[in-house]
Order: sequence, then C-alpha cells, then structure tokens
Amino acid sequence: MSELTLLVLRIGFLILLWAFVFAIVYALRSDLFGQKVRRLPAQNGQSAASAPVVAASAAAPAAAASAAATAPIARTSAPAATADDDEPQAEPPARRLVITSGAKEGMELELGDDQLTIGRSADSGLVIRDDYTSTHHARLMLWSDQWMIQDLDSTNGTFLNGKRVSIPTPVPLNTPVSIGTTTFELRR
Amino acid sequence: MPPTSPEGAAATQASPEPTFTRSIAITVRQPSKLRNLELVLLLVALGIGGTALALVQLGVNGELDPGVLWQASALGMLALGMHVALRIVARDADPFILPIATTLNALGIAMIYRIDLARGDSGWESLGIRQMVWTAIAMVIALAVIVVIRNHRVLARYRYIAMLAGIVLLLLPMLPGIGLTLNGARLWIQLGSFTFQPGEIAKIALAIFFAGYLVTARDSLSLVGRRVLGLQLPRARDLGPILIIWVAAMAVLIFQRDLGTSLLYFGLFIVMIYVSTGRLSWVLIGLGLFLGGAAVASRTLTYVEGRFAAWLDSFNPEVYDAQGGSYQLVQGLFGMAQGGLVGTGLGQGRPTITPLAESDYIITALGEELGLVGLFAILGLYLLFVARGFRIGFNGTDDFGRLLAVGLSFVVVLQVFVVVGGVTRVIPLTGLTTPFLAAGGSALVANWIIAALLLRLSDEVRHQPRLVVDE
Repeated sequence: MSELTLLVLRIGFLILLWAFVFAIVYALRSDLFGQKVRRLPAQNGQSAASAPVVAASAAAPAAAASAAATAPIARTSAPAATADDDEPQAEPPARRLVITSGAKEGMELELGDDQLTIGRSADSGLVIRDDYTSTHHARLMLWSDQWMIQDLDSTNGTFLNGKRVSIPTPVPLNTPVSIGTTTFELRR
Repeated sequence: MPPTSPEGAAATQASPEPTFTRSIAITVRQPSKLRNLELVLLLVALGIGGTALALVQLGVNGELDPGVLWQASALGMLALGMHVALRIVARDADPFILPIATTLNALGIAMIYRIDLARGDSGWESLGIRQMVWTAIAMVIALAVIVVIRNHRVLARYRYIAMLAGIVLLLLPMLPGIGLTLNGARLWIQLGSFTFQPGEIAKIALAIFFAGYLVTARDSLSLVGRRVLGLQLPRARDLGPILIIWVAAMAVLIFQRDLGTSLLYFGLFIVMIYVSTGRLSWVLIGLGLFLGGAAVASRTLTYVEGRFAAWLDSFNPEVYDAQGGSYQLVQGLFGMAQGGLVGTGLGQGRPTITPLAESDYIITALGEELGLVGLFAILGLYLLFVARGFRIGFNGTDDFGRLLAVGLSFVVVLQVFVVVGGVTRVIPLTGLTTPFLAAGGSALVANWIIAALLLRLSDEVRHQPRLVVDE
C-alpha cells in the first residue's frame, strides 16, 4: 500500500464524513432555515388586504424567479398573481383555525395541506370532548384551495353559520362553524 | 344490582359504535418517506464505519484483516434490524437520530480498535472487541425500550420511582463490597469480573423525574415570589428541591470524587427548571450555588485543586511532571497539534502516547488522526443530534414529553461540552464520557437508551391530536 493511496483514502474519508453531515443538513433544510410554504401566503394575505396591486406586481417577479421552486410554492404564488380577479376560488386557502367560543376559546391551530379530522376520539386532529360530540364527528378537507367541511353522520350535527351541514360544504373565511359547545372560524 | 347496571347500559350503548367506526376507518398504508430517508442515511453511516475500520487496518498493518470487518458487519446488521423494527413500531420517528448515533458509535469503535492494534491487544482483553459487544447489547436494549414503551406518558407516572432509582444508582458505588475505585473516582460497581457505572443510567432516571416533577411544580416555581432588581426570586420553600439536588451533586463531588458527574446532574436540573419556568433567576441561583461549591471544593479537595492547576498552568514543568498533573492534558494537546488541519490519517498517528486515549481522551486521538476537519465533522454530528432532540421537544404536544426531550438532549450536549472543553483547556478537565464515542459499556447503554427515548417521543408527536378541547 503506497503512501499516495493512503493519502487519497484518508482525504476521501474526510470528504465522506462531511458529505454525510451535509446530507443531513440538506434533508433538514426546511427545519433549519424555516418553511417557505407557510410564510408566503401570510405575506400575500397582509399585503393583498392593504394594496392588492402591489401584491400582484410583487408576486409576478417572484413567480418568474421561482422556476425551480417546489410545487407548494408554485401553487400559492399562482393564485396571488391573479389576485385582482374577484373570484373567491382563486384566493389562497385559510391557514388558521381559531376557536371563537367554548372551553378553549382563543386557541388557534395552523392548518396544513392535509385534512383535519374532528371528533371525540383521540386519533382525531382536533379532539373535542363534550356531551354533544361524536367519536368521528366531522372533517375539514382542502379541495382545490378551498376548505370543505363534511359531517361524518354525527348525532348532534355540525353547523355552518347556524345551518346544519349535510353534504360537504365550502367554509368561507370568518364564518362560525359549531360542533357541540365549540365554535371555530377559519382565518388566513 | 346497582353497580353492574350502568356498565351494562354503557355496553349496549357503546356496542354499535365500534362497528360504525371500523366501517369508515381508512387503513391505507402510505409509504414511509421518513423511514426511507433513514435507510439511505443509515447505509451511508455504515459505510463510514466500515471505511474507518478498513483505513485503520491499512494504516497500522498495511493490509486488511477480514475477521474484525466481519464482526463489525454483524453490528451493521443489528443497526439495520433496528431500522426495520422502527418501520413497524415507530414509523413516524425522527429519521436522523439512528444514523447519527450509528456513525458516532462506529467512529468510536474504529478508534478504540486502532488503539488496541497499537498496543498489541487482541481477543477478549482488547477494548475494541468489548466495545463492539457493548454496542450490540446497548442496541438491543434500545430496541427493547422502543418496543416496550409505546407511550412516553407512562414514564410520567413513575416519576418518584425514577427519582428513587436515580438516587440509589448514584449512591450504589459508595456501598462497601461492590463499589470500585478507578483512577481516583469511586463511580463503578463490580460484580465478579463485570463492572458497571450506574451513574450513567441514573442520569436518565433523573431526567424523567425532573420532567415529571417540574410539570406539576412549575407554576409555584415561576409565578410566586418577590421581584428584586428585575429578577423574580422564588420563595424559600420552593427552593427545597433545588437545594436537595445541589446537596446530591456536592455529595458526588466530595465522596465519589467526580467533578464531571456532579456538574452534569446539577446542570441538567438547572436547564430543565429554566425551560419549564422561563425564569432567569433560577439559572443565576443555580450557577451561583455551583460556582460557590466548586470554588470551595477547589480550595479544600486536593484532586479538584490539582485539576484547576493543570488547567490554568498546563505548560509549567512542575505541574507537567507532578503526580496527577497536566501530563495527560498536554499530551492530548500535542496530539491534536500533530494532527493539524487534515490529520495524520487513521492508523498513522501515535495517539497511544496520551494515557486513556480510548476513553476520556478519544477526542484528542480522533483530532490527531482526522485533524481539525474531522473533529469538526464529529462536533457537527453532535450538533445535529442535539438539534433534533430540541426540535422534538419543541414540537411535543404535552409538557412532560417536551421537558423530557429537552432534558435528554441536554445530557448529551453537556457531556460533549464538558469533555471537549476539558481536553482543549476551555474548562478544567472533568471525567465524563464522550457520548457514543468513548470506551465504556454503561455509557453506551445509557446513550442508546436516550436515542431510543428521543425516537419514541418523535414518533408520538405525529400521532397526537393538534388541539384538545376538553370540558
């Protein structure tokens, strides 16, 4: 075994070690540098409320620059580019669920892209334990950027703005949804 | 019969419900992205371990010895078995902990094996073989922990038993007959030819106790008390537990003659109390108590005094030549200087000049042969491991789990700081083990249990409800 081979091997080993460290850092990038997906809609929502023209023009270069962006970013920037349309479907979906009355009034949780199940059972995403809630009571689903509420044949019903929900129904922003003694709203 | 009738009614009411829920339960098994990522990283980790062993053999003997490589590949199979078990029992566990722990463990084995080769040890007397056997034992125990503890909140129920177990384990080496004094510290127990350091397991038990205790006691620790100079001072009666832990830490310092362990226990408690209450005053009180105790100890206890002298004045010939002086520390520094930026290469340095190069000074041995570049990669791996632990705590849904994750990660980070800081003359040298790297079975078992608990906690996070509304 020549000196040169050993030298190459030992430098190679150090490179392997660092490659491993960087592989982990790369896999963790969303964790270390923050999630882009969650922050963009919030910025768009705030600026769109104050000055929609600015938001649309600001979103245009961002959309152009993000040619290599991942799918969720592309999806959220696309509706922002067409924000001057009045279609409610084109707006980014709600990102927060805020409890407006009930035992945990004022609590809120962030909505992801997955569905959120609501019910008494411990495997629900939002567990509500009171006398009126069924084990699997309802679920919130994201259908083409619109949150829909579906009642899962609950005993005491799910109420959207006071009306009992029987088929999957779109949930507009800031509209009370009641399950048992708990009422929540979706906000951006 | 009044007692049975409500149950009967409940049973008839409940009976239609399970069939209903079962009919709508969705049982699609999604491919587990996290586990696939873990598998890729684990294969890289095993590659690093195998390469390190092969390089050691090439560097020392100039040829490969397949025997040890076969034994190491058996360990690799065990790590893969652990990965397969995680696929079944903890599918959503963190994918980075197992590969990082495996890499560090493998690097440690390679370095210890290298020191064996330099000393000419082989067979059961060699530390490398023992370290491999202990790794296997530790991994099996970690696997058992993951399988048996399906819900970490069970541990909260046993918090006072954990406290008792922790204190008993701490005091066990002081019992005459089984206690064993090695290198001046009375930390080991000996049963036949089998030695064990019970303090290593005690740190896990104490982390469980602190987490359970602080969840219930933190309101009285954080909200009550007077404000003095902008600091919220706790009431005298709330100081009780912190004083008990301080006394225990000082007892270890004085009677077992171990500075590092007492620093570890007390630091763990201070960090967990700070995380649970958010009060800076606790940190200041704790640091004041420890520094006060250590200052008194450095004046009165000769071995602590010697450590301070070796730290402050290492290159003084009198200190260097003294019994228990700075010879070992300075040899470690010379080793790292010899390694320089890229190191001498595995198997090509002379790490055995430093006494205890396989345990306390494994960092300087690795620094000599892998250089600053390699040492920083190792420190980077520790950083990532601990960052994952803190992230698991941050994402946790219940306070006990959060505190436990933070406490267990802090045990690891404090050990790394104390050991690496000690051998590089940042702080006085104290005898703690480098997690996963240093030779020592009890430390390996304890650190693998910590890894297992972190895996279990991270798996729970994704199964928990996002929000619970309880009447």
